[in-house]
Amino acid sequence: MIYVRESHVEKMGKTQDVSYEILNVLEFNSTRKRQSVVCRYPDGRLVLYCKGADTVIYERLGTGNDDLNKVTRVHLEQFGSAGLRTLCLAYRDLAPDLYESWNEKFITAKSSLRDREKRLDEVAELIEKELILIGATAIEDKLQEGVPNCIQTLSRAGIKIWVLTGDKIETAINIAYACNLLNNEMKQFIISSETDAIREVEERGDQTEIARFMKEEVKKQLKQFLDEAPQYFCSPSGPKLALVIDGKCLMYALEPSLRIMLLTLSLNCSSVVCCRVSPLQKAQVTSLVKKGARKITLSIGDGANDVSMIQAAHIGIGISGLEGMQAVMASDFAIAQFRFLEDLLLVHGRWSYIRLCKVVMYFFYKNLAFTLTQFWFTFGTGFSGQRFYDDWFQSLYNVIFTALPVVIVGLFDQDISSSLSKKYPELYKEGVRNMFFNRRIVAIWACFAVYQSLVFFYFVSLSSSTSRDSDGKMFGLWDVSTMAFTCVVVTVNLRLLMMCNSITRWHYISVGGSIIVWFVFIFVYSGIMTRFDRNDNMFWVIYVLMSTSYFYVTLLLVPVAALLGDFLYLGVQRWFFPYDYQIVQESHKDDADSINTPDSEETKEHLTPDEARSNAISQLPKEVSKHSGFAFDSPGYESFFATQFGKYVPPKAWDVARRASMKSKSKPK
Amino acid sequence: MSSSTPSSSAGGVGSADSAAPRRNSKRPKYSKFTQQELPACKPILTPRWVISAFMLVSIVFIPIGVVSLFASRDVVEIIDRYETACVPDGYKNDKVTFIQSNLTKQCNRTLTVKKRMKKPIYVYYQLDNFYQNHRRYVKSRSDSQLKENSSWDDVSSCKPEDTSNGQPIVPCGLIAWSLFNDTYNFSLNDQQLAVNKKGISWKSDRDSKFGKDVFPKNFQNGTLKGGATLNPSIPLSEQEDLIVWMRTAALPTFRKLYGKIEQDLQPNDQIHVTLDNNYNTYSFNGKKKLVLSTTSWLGGKNDFLGIAYLTVGGLCFFLALSFTVVYLVKPRRLGDPSYLSWNRNPGGH
Repeated sequence: MIYVRESHVEKMGKTQDVSYEILNVLEFNSTRKRQSVVCRYPDGRLVLYCKGADTVIYERLGTGNDDLNKVTRVHLEQFGSAGLRTLCLAYRDLAPDLYESWNEKFITAKSSLRDREKRLDEVAELIEKELILIGATAIEDKLQEGVPNCIQTLSRAGIKIWVLTGDKIETAINIAYACNLLNNEMKQFIISSETDAIREVEERGDQTEIARFMKEEVKKQLKQFLDEAPQYFCSPSGPKLALVIDGKCLMYALEPSLRIMLLTLSLNCSSVVCCRVSPLQKAQVTSLVKKGARKITLSIGDGANDVSMIQAAHIGIGISGLEGMQAVMASDFAIAQFRFLEDLLLVHGRWSYIRLCKVVMYFFYKNLAFTLTQFWFTFGTGFSGQRFYDDWFQSLYNVIFTALPVVIVGLFDQDISSSLSKKYPELYKEGVRNMFFNRRIVAIWACFAVYQSLVFFYFVSLSSSTSRDSDGKMFGLWDVSTMAFTCVVVTVNLRLLMMCNSITRWHYISVGGSIIVWFVFIFVYSGIMTRFDRNDNMFWVIYVLMSTSYFYVTLLLVPVAALLGDFLYLGVQRWFFPYDYQIVQESHKDDADSINTPDSEETKEHLTPDEARSNAISQLPKEVSKHSGFAFDSPGYESFFATQFGKYVPPKAWDVARRASMKSKSKPK
Repeated sequence: MSSSTPSSSAGGVGSADSAAPRRNSKRPKYSKFTQQELPACKPILTPRWVISAFMLVSIVFIPIGVVSLFASRDVVEIIDRYETACVPDGYKNDKVTFIQSNLTKQCNRTLTVKKRMKKPIYVYYQLDNFYQNHRRYVKSRSDSQLKENSSWDDVSSCKPEDTSNGQPIVPCGLIAWSLFNDTYNFSLNDQQLAVNKKGISWKSDRDSKFGKDVFPKNFQNGTLKGGATLNPSIPLSEQEDLIVWMRTAALPTFRKLYGKIEQDLQPNDQIHVTLDNNYNTYSFNGKKKLVLSTTSWLGGKNDFLGIAYLTVGGLCFFLALSFTVVYLVKPRRLGDPSYLSWNRNPGGH
């Protein structure tokens, strides 16, 4: 039993609570695209109310009332062109016996153990027909703040953006215009199922004929567009291409015979808008691009109908918000607003790519430089397999002496600040083209690692072939290897500093700390001799080593000689073959200290009055519920009901004027 | 699938909703560490830096190289290879038989001093093609046995020279077994030059690694003698030849300290060396050399460091100059947007 507050039947200006009994609720689902409720009026009248998308309601209308239907259809198109989301409302009076018989079927279906959804759908079909149209509603579903800018920035970054929506084609096109995905200079290819030819065939009602005809139509159009496309593509200053396709046509276009054509055509277009798509089709389109075009796909959505698309893509992003958390729970990343996608991709995504490349390359390099010294040593041991370094050195090399700095780089390295990353979205393409981790880069690092290992081994061993000091004594194997290891640790850590784009104090701490830890370790290791040691090779080695001038002279020479090659390469590369990000770094190197708290500071200075006002408004405390339930901004009702609740809402200016004009009309002349 | 970085990406960039007064906002506490806004130095390797770095290196390295090279040039070294010359004529084709026979191994050599050598003059023996760094050789020792008398039977790592006639060998292992046993006696103008054989080993070895209460036992008792024998009444901490030998060398060509001559030598002095050519290097074509050398603050006669410093310094100087030339000839304005790839070839998607 529900109570609806309606205006009093007899008394003007007063309200009454009328009770309605809800008998059945036919739930909404995305295949049916509608929901209904059967209720009993207080006077016993049974009514079925149905609300849903205009196509499905119109299919189920009864005859008669054609004028209203036509007028409403015109209104719907107008609403769609204005970018509003439309719904149709319809009702049907039910005779009690008809209802009873149907209700039995409904109860059986509802309590069935298998295929409950399908049976409910079938049962709903039985009663949802012969409807009488009440009218249409239109809701303004505003784009989130910053969406058009975000989309524009992302397309500058080389990311192609497709819109997959369940809305009508006019609404979808309108939204695409608002987002800067479509504009009047683009050549638009439209494949729609609402042409007259198709409507004609649909009216005939033969399902197989409709299917065949539609498939033919779609095929014809795809072919035609595919032939037309190259001519626009050839001229670089020609118009960009856009494709708009309907959900019904998409159903035929995704079939194996046509999907290649669809894929080719859509990959040539700079934006694609698919409207009236069901959640399943969203996932199918995503898989089409993912598997067919072998490109990395990202899906972003905020509702339950986006879940399948989010899961189908390589990366799924859910926008947490008013529509609930289903999208968020199915996603890989969750963000709060659409415009944060810009940050996620251009700032964090790009930084992650750079950091990952650096970390991986560095790991291979440092281990290569370290291990190859052993390799050169084997030539001098008769290939017997004697290790150059002590066991502990080898085990702890990757764990203590070189571990922390690379972690710090992986966390903090930024080639350019976040605001600059967003200002130059084209830099994102560096990641797309995989410019920092390809064969050439790996080969260069490997060459330098080989060169450095040669320096480490031969410089140290050739310079220790005579007396260690003025006291005439000679170095042994373990002394030479400790010297070499010290040089390796120092060089490898300094190399890390050379490849950083931004050096924070944690870098200094970790690099300095690693080198200091090495010395602490070797002091302790050389200083103690326990009965559990298998051998005492390292006893007192470092103390003797550090008492010679040879140690310091070599320690200055070897890292510098080893890093000479890398330094030269970096200098030459930046000067003659600079990457884009390096040029951006140079052009902004004199910017005021770039620890800007992003966005909020910057935008405060450049707001237009409109933006300032909306900014200020958005800072106000929000109302309890966004859905106030009144789609129409009608005069009188709002303030009327508000006063009933005890809230005072000032009347709108135009409403006051309207009433004033009415009053003057009713004055007796 | 849990969302991985929602809070940092959502809370990070200033979201326009949730005003400050709302205490139940989900925005995490701001900190420079978590928001990736740590103050950082952003080094850019401009030509100025490159040229300065190269100049600095060359300015520092060239003097050091010169100093090192002078130090090395100051050292006077006499090297005399004797293993072929000290084999008597009849055995030139069968040196192994000679060395393993009982014939006298005494050999007389003459060394001429070219430059004045100040005391102390260090006497070394240098071996070539002797792989003291072979894996099985290096591990064939027992440090615990060398340290203390109580571990005299800890010979497990010393194979194959662990026991002889059922008794453990002290000191065991291949390294001790192959102890070098050539001896040298020097005389100048018919006067004996004393060779000080005390203090030739590392002090840390003498004090801690070789015990004062460990005496050689059952040493070189087997069928095949590998090298010198040891006096069983002298503790290991005073067997300096053994201590020096047991510090295995890094490369197959090495020299080890034999003793010190505490006397100056003048140019054109003729040193007569009476040496015992006992050690068998003929089985593996090894070379034996006798080395007399002075030392400098940097060590023995090794030009490598000096040359390396000069090379690196010179190379850096040359690179600094060429960079300067290139910079002047073909300049590129820093941060020139026309070098951006999307400005260079527009229209590419």
